[in-house]
Amino acid sequence: MNQLFFLSLFLLGFIGMLLNRNLIKLIIGFEIMEASVLLWFISFTNQGGNPPIYLLDKPGMVLNDPLPQALALTAIVIAASNIALFLTLVIELSRYHKASDVDKIKGLRD
Amino acid sequence: MRLSFLLPLLIVLPLLTAFLIPLIDILAIALRKILVIISISLELVFSLSLLFYFSPLGKEKLPISYYLGGWEPPLGISLSLNHLGLIFSMLVSVSLFLITLYSLEYIEHHEGKYYVLLFVVLGAMQGVVLTNDLFNLYVFIELLTVASTPLVAFDRTSSAIEAGIKYIVYGLLGGLFFFIGIVLIYLSLGTLSLAEIALSFSSLPIPFQETVLIFFIISLTIKLGIFPFHFWLAKAHSSAPAPISALLSGVMLKLYLCVFLRLFWVVLDFPLMEASWLKSFVLYLALGSSLLGHLFAFQEEDLKRLLAFSSVGHIGIIVAVLLVNTPEALYGGMLHIINHLIMKSALFLDSGYFLQFTKSHLIKDLKGVFHYNRYLFASFVIVVLAMIGIPPLNGFFSKWYMLLAFVEEGIHLGGIVVILGSLLAIPYYFRVISYGISPCEEKPVVSLSQDPPPASLMIFTILALVVLTVVTGIFYFCLNPILDGAVQELLPLQIYPPFPGGS
Amino acid sequence: MKIFLLLVLFSGIGFLLIDNLRFLSNSGFSLGAATHYYVTQGFEQTGALNLVSSILYDFRAFDSLGESTVIFAAVSGIVSLLSRKTLPVSSHGLSIIVKRIFGILTPFLFVSGIYLILHGHLSPGGGFQGGVILGTISIVFCIVYGSSFDYTRYSPQSKTILEVSGALLFLAMGIIGIFLEGFFLANWFSSPERLGKLLTPGSIFGINLGVGIKIGAGLSIIFYSIIQKRIEGK
Repeated sequence: MNQLFFLSLFLLGFIGMLLNRNLIKLIIGFEIMEASVLLWFISFTNQGGNPPIYLLDKPGMVLNDPLPQALALTAIVIAASNIALFLTLVIELSRYHKASDVDKIKGLRD
Repeated sequence: MRLSFLLPLLIVLPLLTAFLIPLIDILAIALRKILVIISISLELVFSLSLLFYFSPLGKEKLPISYYLGGWEPPLGISLSLNHLGLIFSMLVSVSLFLITLYSLEYIEHHEGKYYVLLFVVLGAMQGVVLTNDLFNLYVFIELLTVASTPLVAFDRTSSAIEAGIKYIVYGLLGGLFFFIGIVLIYLSLGTLSLAEIALSFSSLPIPFQETVLIFFIISLTIKLGIFPFHFWLAKAHSSAPAPISALLSGVMLKLYLCVFLRLFWVVLDFPLMEASWLKSFVLYLALGSSLLGHLFAFQEEDLKRLLAFSSVGHIGIIVAVLLVNTPEALYGGMLHIINHLIMKSALFLDSGYFLQFTKSHLIKDLKGVFHYNRYLFASFVIVVLAMIGIPPLNGFFSKWYMLLAFVEEGIHLGGIVVILGSLLAIPYYFRVISYGISPCEEKPVVSLSQDPPPASLMIFTILALVVLTVVTGIFYFCLNPILDGAVQELLPLQIYPPFPGGS
Repeated sequence: MKIFLLLVLFSGIGFLLIDNLRFLSNSGFSLGAATHYYVTQGFEQTGALNLVSSILYDFRAFDSLGESTVIFAAVSGIVSLLSRKTLPVSSHGLSIIVKRIFGILTPFLFVSGIYLILHGHLSPGGGFQGGVILGTISIVFCIVYGSSFDYTRYSPQSKTILEVSGALLFLAMGIIGIFLEGFFLANWFSSPERLGKLLTPGSIFGINLGVGIKIGAGLSIIFYSIIQKRIEGK
């Protein structure tokens, strides 16, 4: 059931990315997709254990898988720098076109 | 094991240079050029020494690997080098060396940031070739996207910015699909090391395997610019500065082909892909994309867009011939990867030199531009002939092997596309040449009597690439030991008939 | 036509994912061999109680190097795209109350950022998270005191030097690993009695610090490049 939630979130972002003609909204759609994949990844590997931090006074605790969290952290940082670069390009584009609508900018139409 | 310390060095040296350049910019700006030249030469030396040691002269045995941090593969990240990696690592080093030399005279503003990004791209490329870990591969692919987007938009004209936006959106989508593939593999197999995935991937149920394959295929078709996603490619490759066009069209597409080869042949289950509808689907898609690329190039008015669409055509045919998956096909495909890299880089760099003198990139504005430098004009003609496939030059041999491979496997459409591609290339390249040599009536931007700006390094790079074109054409069989090794790595362990060209 | 193609792609992807989810939830998730090692022995081998840190900065430190380089490349790209003859625009921020209160809060924010960085191997947090807090401080400076406040005190050059030195610290830790342990990015942690202390020997501490400095400076550079406005006609 949980997974269907992430799936619908993913498809929501996908629709948003494909059908929105505004550059900023387009990238928000992408962010939703990325977030849904990461949520799915993290939640799927959560086996009901504790956060993956070892406590010296409580040995033998059941810990969750730390690897997906590390990967998700990396993916978040990468996505963040990508988005920053994208927004920079949109700012630059606003010097030439006073619109952020894909259809109104000739070079972006297809 | 003795040489394996070179593997992390090949990645870390460019990154270190990239980190040092901003510091040098602040402290002593004059030293930057020296640092750039030293670093890129060292990279070339390392790469060539690897080539020497693993050639028949050096008597070292491939593959070698290096465990980063001392952790063995399931625990940590490892780098490894096999014949395939050796080819691509060497190609990246050589072409980046030439492109950097060219840039030293071509780039005129924001040089500091330009070289930072160029070296990050170099490090990321070596990382993509050498890494042996799926997630690390993703990180390096994203690094390529992030570092090359500002380079695409480097001129900051309206069209360059639009190209950058397109490039990064498609890059992000491709990266996301790649990431979904990684997540699926990790959730089902619990490992990220390529070697372990290769061992256990075929134990998964077949529909699941196909799903994973589909996600990776979508991702790589976006990155390679195959048919439904080819629009970004022409725009991005034509709006960038000339060295970056050569980098994107010549080198980066080949790098994604390397990822394609490693993922689908070595890691994921190729027999499964061959058995299902996926293989023939991608094959015919790539053939269609190739034909479409040549047709678009045929009706294109802009020189750089023409070259970019021609890249679409060549990449399509390479993907198709690799998917045929016979030794001849893989041999031909890899030979064409090397040749297309040399030819396309030469064409982009050459046209970059001439387009400095014209007011736009349109072919009709090229009138008389070839009179600025007759030698470079001759080199342009030679490379164009190689591109079309005139016998003693390198394009002929790879196209010939691709043709043979298609015909032997009974995929006649493939053979037709190879020939049609060459036939279509004749008029569109000769249109460029005829405009270029026709005497100009209007006054050009820089008058002919005035000396063209000094560009000895640029001319040297272009001539070096042209010499490579001729040499790899006549002595293409010198590459056979490495190419055969790479082909052997890609094939399942069976006895195959002897290779074309002898081994 | 185009919408139709997209819808086909869309429904195909949806169908594929539903198919997968069914398989994955049937088979369930089990720890791989590597993960089992991380969970049971990771802290003894690396000296980091926070297993996510031990993975990010020791087992898969090369990923983190690539990731820091991604940010570095993004910063360089953004600066090269946005660098024009620009000046910070305003020097008046919010009201005096906000200014005073933020003046009191800043040291605490700073300490919490540094705490997250330095304790990255012991508790949740680490270089990235702490670095983001440090970067946030400089962003809040801009909102509260106006954009010229930060700009006049910390020049872009000094931020660039900070960023580069963070990256170089990361690489230096890797190179020290070569000399002490024989492998690039190897961790030289070898004293179990120091486990759980703040000053644990080993590279994780240094890498955390380097990444923290780098991310903080990088985010600040990105923010100040983006907000700069062009002065037209001069």
